Amino acid sequence: MTEEPYRWVEAIANRAEYIDTQLAAGSPIVALGYRDGILFLTLGRSHQKLFEIYDRIAMGAIGHPGDIERLRMAAIELASTEGFTRSAADVSLRRLAHYSLSPVLKTAFEQVYGAPYLARLLFAEIGAKQENDLFLRLDYDGAIATNNATFAQSRQDFGVLSGTRASAELMEKYLAAEYSTGATFERALKLALDAWMVGHLALGDAGIKELPGREKIVTQRKERLREAAIEAAVLERDEKISIRYRTLPEAELRASAGD
Amino acid sequence: MEDFVGLLRRTGHIGPVSPIGPVSANADVPLTQATTILAFKFQGGVLVAGDRRATAGNTVVYDRADKVLEIDRHSIMAIAGVPATAWEMARVLEHSFQFFRRTQLQEMSVDGKVRALSQLLRDNFGAVLQGLGVVVPIFATYDSASEPSARLYFYDAMGAQFEVADYAATGSGSPAVRGILYYENNWGKKPLAKLSEDEAVTVALRALDTAAESDTATGGVDRNAKIFPVIKIVSREGITTLPEKKIAAVFKRSVA
Repeated sequence: MTEEPYRWVEAIANRAEYIDTQLAAGSPIVALGYRDGILFLTLGRSHQKLFEIYDRIAMGAIGHPGDIERLRMAAIELASTEGFTRSAADVSLRRLAHYSLSPVLKTAFEQVYGAPYLARLLFAEIGAKQENDLFLRLDYDGAIATNNATFAQSRQDFGVLSGTRASAELMEKYLAAEYSTGATFERALKLALDAWMVGHLALGDAGIKELPGREKIVTQRKERLREAAIEAAVLERDEKISIRYRTLPEAELRASAGD
Repeated sequence: MEDFVGLLRRTGHIGPVSPIGPVSANADVPLTQATTILAFKFQGGVLVAGDRRATAGNTVVYDRADKVLEIDRHSIMAIAGVPATAWEMARVLEHSFQFFRRTQLQEMSVDGKVRALSQLLRDNFGAVLQGLGVVVPIFATYDSASEPSARLYFYDAMGAQFEVADYAATGSGSPAVRGILYYENNWGKKPLAKLSEDEAVTVALRALDTAAESDTATGGVDRNAKIFPVIKIVSREGITTLPEKKIAAVFKRSVA
C-alpha cells in the first residue's frame, strides 16, 4: 500500500487525524518568562505533566503517559551524558530538540506500520537575561516552533501547549496582547492562570473562537480552581545555583494567586 | 532500570570495568594514599576537612588541591587517593544522583547514595590491583527522611562501607588524626558531638596540623603562604563552605 505515494500521503493524513483526536482533550500548559525566571503552569487532577530535564531545561507534556515517558527519558539521557562529558553549559535545548528528539518523532510518525508517539512537548531553557530564554514546542510529527521572531510573529517571552491548535493559537493571542517583558512572579502567575483558562475554554468543538471578556475569565478561573489542582514549577534565573528547576507547592501558589 | 553508570557504559562514555586479574602473594597493593581527610559529627552537623597538598612520590605537585567535594545539596565526598580517579568518581556520583532524581522523580535515598559510591569503588578495584588509582573516600550526608540525622561513612579501597557514630579519617596522616579525635571525644573538654562550630574548627585544624607535623604528604596549614585546609559543614539546611577568613581567624586565635 505504501509503495504508492498517494496512498502513503493518505495514510499519513489519517494518522495525523487520529493523533489529533487522541490529544484533543489535553489540558493546556503555559510557560511564561518573568524577571527572575520562567514559570511552568497547568491545571489537572491526574498525572504529573511538568518535568525537570537538566540544570536549565524543563519540559511540559500532554499525550499518552507511556510515550511521554519514553521521550522524557531520551531527553534526560542525552542532556545528562552531554553535561557529564562536557559541562552543564554545553547542554543546549536547541541541539536536544533539533538533533535528537525531532528526528525520532518524525521517523516514528512517518513509518506508517509502526506506532507513532502520541505526545506534544513544550520545553523551556532559562537564559542569563530574559531575552535569552528559549521556548520550544515539539509536535508529534517532529515539527518545531520556538519563541524567536519570524515573519509571522515578533519575539515572545512565552510558550504554550494545548490539545488543539485552535486552543494554542488563542492562548498565544491572549498572551501576546496581555504580556509585557520584565513581569514580576505574581503578575506572571496570574497571567499564566488566565492563559490556561483561555486555552481550556477553546478546547472541543463547542470551544470559544474569540478571546473571552475579562469577567468571564475571572469567574471561570475561580470555578475551575475549586475542583482542579495547580501544578507549577519554575526555572530560576539565579546564576549562583546550578540546578534551576524547582516545583512550587500548591498552597504557596494559591496564596500568591489570591484565590 | 538502568542507572547513570550503566548509561555511560552503554554509550561508550566510560570504559568497561577492568577485570580483577591474578594477584601474586607479594603484590604491593596500596591501601591508603598521601593526604589527610577527616570528618566528625558536632553540634551543627558534620564537619569535613581536608588538607590541600597533592604529591607524586616525594614531590609536592600542587598545594591548593580541593579534596572535599560537594556531590549534591546535602552530600560531601572527601577523597584520599589518586586525584584523577577520585575526581572522576566524584563527578560520576554527582551526575548519578541528579540522573536518579530526574528520571525517577524522587531523591535517591541515603542508603542508595552510599551504595552508589561503594559500587564505583568496587568497579575500580581491578585498576587498584594493577597499582593504579586507589581511592579511599569519606562520605558525609544529611538524611532528611524518616528520622532527620547526620550520617557519616568511610570506605576501604574495595568498596566496603562503614558507618561511624562519631568520626572518621583516612589518608597517610590519618593515624595521628584518629588518635587526636579519639582523645578529644573521650577525654577532651566535651565530646565531639557537643562542640560548637568554632570549637569543631579548632579541633579539625589542630588535627590536620598534627598530621602534617610527621607526614610529609599532608599539607596541614601553610603558615607562610597562608594556605588553609578546606572545611565544609553538612547540616539540615545544606552545605556550608567555611570562608578562608573565618578559618584564618580561628587558626590565629586557638592554633597558631
